[in-house]
Amino acid sequence: MPQLELDGLTRRYGSLTALDQLSFSVRPGHVTGFLGPNGAGKTTTMRAVFGLTALDAGTIRWDGAPVRPPQRRRFGYLPEERGLYPGMRIGEQVEYFGRLHGMSPAAAAAGARAWLGRLGLGDRAADKVETLSQGNQQRVQLAVALVYDPDLLILDEPLSGLDPAGIDAMSEVLTEQARAGKCVLLSSHQLDLVENLCQSVVIIDHGRLVASGNVDDLTTRGRRRLVVRVAGDRDGDWARALPGVTLSEVDAGAVRLVLEATADSQRVLGAAMAAGPVTEFTVRRRSLSEVFREEVAGPTRPARAEARA
Amino acid sequence: MSELGRLLPYVIIIAALGFVVLRRHRRSGSRPRLDSGALIRPPEPGATPMRLLPLPGDVGLVAARELRERLRGRAFRIGTLLILAVIAAAIIIPAVRGDRAGVQQVGVVGTLSAPLRAAVVADGTAANATVTLVAEASQTAAESDLRGGRIDVAIINSAAVVTDKPVTADPASATAQLANAAARTVATANAVRSAGLTPAQAAALAAARSAPVSSLQPAGASGAQRTTSLIGLLLVFFLLTQYNTWTLIGVLEEKSSRVVEVLLATVPAVRLLAGKVLGIGLTVFVQAGLAVVVALSIAHATHSDVLHGTTTLSIAATLVWLVLGYAFYSWVYAAAGAMVSRQDQVQSLAFPLALPVIFGYIVSLSAATSGNPSLLVHVLAYLPPTAPLAMPTLVGLGAVSWWQFAASAVISLAGTVGVARVAAGVYRRAILQTGRRVRLREALARN
Repeated sequence: MPQLELDGLTRRYGSLTALDQLSFSVRPGHVTGFLGPNGAGKTTTMRAVFGLTALDAGTIRWDGAPVRPPQRRRFGYLPEERGLYPGMRIGEQVEYFGRLHGMSPAAAAAGARAWLGRLGLGDRAADKVETLSQGNQQRVQLAVALVYDPDLLILDEPLSGLDPAGIDAMSEVLTEQARAGKCVLLSSHQLDLVENLCQSVVIIDHGRLVASGNVDDLTTRGRRRLVVRVAGDRDGDWARALPGVTLSEVDAGAVRLVLEATADSQRVLGAAMAAGPVTEFTVRRRSLSEVFREEVAGPTRPARAEARA
Repeated sequence: MSELGRLLPYVIIIAALGFVVLRRHRRSGSRPRLDSGALIRPPEPGATPMRLLPLPGDVGLVAARELRERLRGRAFRIGTLLILAVIAAAIIIPAVRGDRAGVQQVGVVGTLSAPLRAAVVADGTAANATVTLVAEASQTAAESDLRGGRIDVAIINSAAVVTDKPVTADPASATAQLANAAARTVATANAVRSAGLTPAQAAALAAARSAPVSSLQPAGASGAQRTTSLIGLLLVFFLLTQYNTWTLIGVLEEKSSRVVEVLLATVPAVRLLAGKVLGIGLTVFVQAGLAVVVALSIAHATHSDVLHGTTTLSIAATLVWLVLGYAFYSWVYAAAGAMVSRQDQVQSLAFPLALPVIFGYIVSLSAATSGNPSLLVHVLAYLPPTAPLAMPTLVGLGAVSWWQFAASAVISLAGTVGVARVAAGVYRRAILQTGRRVRLREALARN
């Protein structure tokens, strides 16, 4: 299966550099999470794939060759904001986008029926979009992106605004698409969800690539982490003075510690026992949100100006 | 048949122009789109499978959706009903007011010589009516028949003409025209007789009709012409304003609902715009065509002389200019719709854009009501923004010839091509910029 390669994407808005020599690729068979703080350039990048953002430099390749408009018929796009005709019936809407992507009338009608049924909207095909809830509109938007069975799916914040059932349905569909060999790229701020759903992640900041790779590799790499629980202790003060140990967060008595290479975990255990009875002492991987925070905040940077194109 | 002959040059010119524009459009449409930023390299041979070839059908799909949604929409239904109601009223009211054009009963008191009878019948033909002569026993009997509506005009002893209503009340009516003409005929016959001419001379004079006056518009009453001009002008003004607003709001809706982002991910901006303009244009045609068909059938059914026979050319001219006007303005309004982001920003743009139409309407209206087109109307008839209003008015008044009509159509089409180019550029640059209103200078700047 072909893959999507982004090579040296650069986009400036006046003095602001939205994308700065950004390069990464999206592999088939994986759900790839696209992470970054607000204004990092995620939406700009995703829109660039569809030719919606003009680039100052860089190439977007599909299957090894620069993307040309006809190939975009095989790409599916779920934009950050709802992009549907409010007054149009949802069945006809999904069908219409199928036809625009080159489907025959019969295939588009069948595809629309199948996807709306699959997403639990089978009985609402004759309803207008504006009568649906936000979450259901999001499902219609997903059906619009999937009806023509695209090879590449690009989803900008697909999980926002969905209830837990909606998130499960969306995750199931995206995982299934990836298993079928499609390229799936989605942006999100819900890092715990991304950690469960995605096999790969790309993290950008200030329009530059910060980290990318398998979720497993990124979370096992780096400094050791401990989660320690001491009965009666709420704030983890006992750990603050230990050499080579940083307290990363305290959550309802569970103290999360980051250990430098020089630090001794046995000394940490000793200090914890001195503070009270130890009820939990676990070696943990980094969570994706820790990866994100450390990679993005790592080299100290000046506060950014909020800007999104 | 002669009607058809007169129309033929227009039909040929319009068909030829339409063909040229279509060819041009197709050529510019198939030009590869400037791809945003992604550096374009020629595709490797064989790298593009058949299913990835660009489908020219997307313009049609966009247009078909537009047409379907419009025809289904409430705005269309109510608007159409409103137009039809206005047209029906404009035709039926004068007809019901007692003007039975078509057949005019003429009561004759006393004797009427054979040449005079023939002359009166000919007067009726000139007024678009078939005259039936009815013998009346006395003037009293004739007057009672006039009041009862059994006859329309009475000729008393070859010397006087009597009607029920004063002829000045509605000089455009067939009855009034017939009465005036008959009065003249009778007076002439009497004058000839008292001049003491030989019967042969008298007959020659009585048989003399006016020399043929040829004009673009077949012989007819100027009053009826003015009415047709007015109806056509109102139709163009009303429909043009409505469709312009549709285009503007339609583009704005796509922009503000962000659906345009999903559309542009597959359909190039120019084709999306072309599909939209085409779709609404087809709606225009459906609605205007419906209006004309209804107008003609009502006119036919009620024997109204407002739209009768002679004015087919006017109707055709009105329709042609409605389409030409829509083609010209739709691009402008689509570009304007792309420049605004919210409904409340529309007002600041819609009014200045509507000014040329309003100006053309007011100037043409004064020409249509006075029946006397000024030089200004003649000038406006050649400017693409005002021609859709001024030119059909002139045609309705019989004040232009076919080559002037054609010249104006050519100028308008050329203007449309130019406007479409600029508008497509503005649309492409502005449609994805949300938030504030896009300034004209930014929209026109080269990217």
